[in-house]
Amino acid sequence: MSNDTRFKRYLKLDLLPTPWCPGCGNGIALKTICQAFGELELPKQGTVVVSGIGCSGRSAGFFDLDSVHTAHGRAIPVAEGIKYANDTLNVVVVSGDGDLLGIGGNHLLHAIRRNTNITVICYANETYGMTGGQVSPITPHNTKTLTTPHGNPDYPADVQSLFKHHNCFYARTTAYHLSHMKKCFLEALKFKGFSFVEARTMCIVNYGRRLGYKNSNEMLLHYKEFYRINDYAEELAQDEIGILKTTTVS
Amino acid sequence: MPKKLLQGNEAIAQAAEAAGLQFFAGYPITPASEIIHEMVNKKHIKTMQMEDEIASINAVIGASLAGLKAMTATSGPGFSLMQESIGLAHMMEVPLVIVNVQRVGPSTGMPTLPAQGDVIQCIHGSHGDYFPIVFYPNSVFELFRYTIAAFNAAEESMSPVILLSDGYISHLYETIVPHYDCTITPRSRPALGMGNRHFTGLSHKGSVLKTSDVNNYRQLIASFREKQQMTAHRHNYFEYLECSRETDTLLISYGALSRAAYYFKNDFALYRPIRMFPAVEEIRKIAPRYKRIRMMEMNTGQYVYEIERMLHREVEFIPILGGRIDPKEIKQTLYEQ
Ligand SMILES: Cc1ncc(C[n+]2csc(CCOP(=O)(O)OP(=O)(O)O)c2C)c(N)n1
Repeated sequence: MSNDTRFKRYLKLDLLPTPWCPGCGNGIALKTICQAFGELELPKQGTVVVSGIGCSGRSAGFFDLDSVHTAHGRAIPVAEGIKYANDTLNVVVVSGDGDLLGIGGNHLLHAIRRNTNITVICYANETYGMTGGQVSPITPHNTKTLTTPHGNPDYPADVQSLFKHHNCFYARTTAYHLSHMKKCFLEALKFKGFSFVEARTMCIVNYGRRLGYKNSNEMLLHYKEFYRINDYAEELAQDEIGILKTTTVS
Repeated sequence: MPKKLLQGNEAIAQAAEAAGLQFFAGYPITPASEIIHEMVNKKHIKTMQMEDEIASINAVIGASLAGLKAMTATSGPGFSLMQESIGLAHMMEVPLVIVNVQRVGPSTGMPTLPAQGDVIQCIHGSHGDYFPIVFYPNSVFELFRYTIAAFNAAEESMSPVILLSDGYISHLYETIVPHYDCTITPRSRPALGMGNRHFTGLSHKGSVLKTSDVNNYRQLIASFREKQQMTAHRHNYFEYLECSRETDTLLISYGALSRAAYYFKNDFALYRPIRMFPAVEEIRKIAPRYKRIRMMEMNTGQYVYEIERMLHREVEFIPILGGRIDPKEIKQTLYEQ
C-alpha cells in the first residue's frame, strides 16, 4: 500500500460513502482512477469527468472536478462535445458496460472511428446493476441473470475487436489486479487519441450472488485465478487482461 | 446594408453566425440538411456530422457546457430522437438552439413536403415537466431575425430554445436585408473546467443531488417556469392584422400556412403567433373583438388546444394536411363553412 494521498484531492470526500452496495467493486476503480490522476498531477481546473446512467454512472458526482451526469448511454457524445469545444481539457468518461456498450454502443463505435482524444473507463460488472441485474452486452454465455433465467443464450460482445483497426487504445483489467488497473488508467490517460479501459468490477448483490458466489471476495479471487496479464499482446484471450499492442504504436 | 437572395435554411445559418454560434452538430435530414451544409464552410464554427441526432444533441450539450454557443438542426424524425436529451438540457439548464424544419409525418411520412405536426412535441416530447421557448417565423427574413432571438433567449433562460420552421419556408428563396435591431446576449455561465460543479439530470439543488426531496423538486420546476416566463416577456412576437372591412371572424395560423392566410386579409382579421410557447398573452385581448375564431394548421389540431386554453372558448378548426398549401382549396374550405 502506498502512502501517496494525492488521490484524495480529486474526490469530494464529504460525499462519501458512495451509494454503492457493500462489496461493490466500483469504489476500487474510482479510487484507482483518482490515484492515476494524482500520479499524473492532472490539473483540477482543466479536467472534466462525464458519466452516463447506472450505479457506475454515479461516479462523476464524486469527483472534486467539474462533472456531468448525462442521460443513459450518452456520456461519450457529451464528452466529445466538451472536447471539441475546448481541447485543452482532459475529458474522462466513467460509466458502465450497459451504458457504454449497450444503449450507448453506437456512440462508442463512432468515437473510435473519430479517435476523439478522450479517455473512457468502463466499470464492466457484466450486468445492469442499478436495475436489478439484467443481462448486459458482456455477460458470458449461459450465465443466469434476471432476464436470462435459463442462461444467456448469446455470446458477449468482443469489445477489443472494435479497436483493432483504429489507432486507439484498449485495455482490459480487473479490480483484483490493482497495480495493473492503475497502469492501464495511466497509459489510457496519457494516450493521445481515443482510449478505453474495460475494468472488470464485481457486483455481488445483483449478479455474483445468483452465480453462486458467497461474497464479493470470492469474485475478486475468481479474477485472480481466471485472468493472466498479457500486456501489449496482439489480441487478448478470454482469460487474459492487458493492454492491446496494435493500438499503442502510432 | 446590401440585399441578399437567401434560402430560408441559409438565413438560419447566417443568423446563427451573427448570433455568435461556435459549435454545430447535426445529422443529415431533408428538409434541414442545407443548414449543416452551410455550417461546414464557416470558419469560426466547429461543425460535426455525428452518427445520429441523439449524438448531435448530446455533443451540443457538451459543447455548450464547455462554453460555446451551440446549435443543432433537424426535422421531425431527428427531433423525436432528441427528446430524452432535450429534457436533460432543461434539467441541467444548458443554453442551446434546436432548429426543427418540419416535414410530413408520422414516421418517414412525406420528407419533401412541409407540415406542422411537431408543435406539441416541442413542449411535451420529453418526459416530465419543462418549459421551452419556441419561435416559428414565416419568411426568410424572419428566419434570420428569430434565429438571433432564439440564441438570445437560450442564453437568457439558460435552456434549449426551439426554432420551428417547415419544408416550405426553409426552402423558400427571398431577397432580404439580413439585419437585426437587438443586441447579442453573450454567454453567461462559466465554462466547464473551472471548478467542482456537478451537472446532472437527477433532481438537484446546485451541485447537490436531491433525488427524493419533494419540496426541492417543486421549487426546481417552479424556477424553470419562472425563467421561461421572464425571458419570454422580452420576446413578445406575434402579428395581428385588423381587417379593412367589417368582420366578425379572426383567422389564426402560423408558419408557412400563415402566408396563405394573407390572401384573405380583406375578409378576416388575421392573427399569427411567432412566439409559439409560452403563448403570447395578447391573444386574450384581441379575441373578444370577434364572434368567430377560426384556426388553420398543417396538422389535425395541435396549437388550437393552446388557443382554446388561453381563451376558454371554442375555436373552429381547419386542418390543412399532406403538405399542400393551395389558396384556392383553402378558400373553398373557409367560405363553404
Ligand atoms: C433510456 C433509459 N432506459 C433505461 C433506463 C434504466 N436504467 C438505469 S441504469 C440502467 C442500467 C445500467 O447498467 P450499467 O451501465 O451496466 O451500469 P451499472 O448499474 O451496472 O453500474 C438502466 C437500464 C434509463 N435510465 N434510461
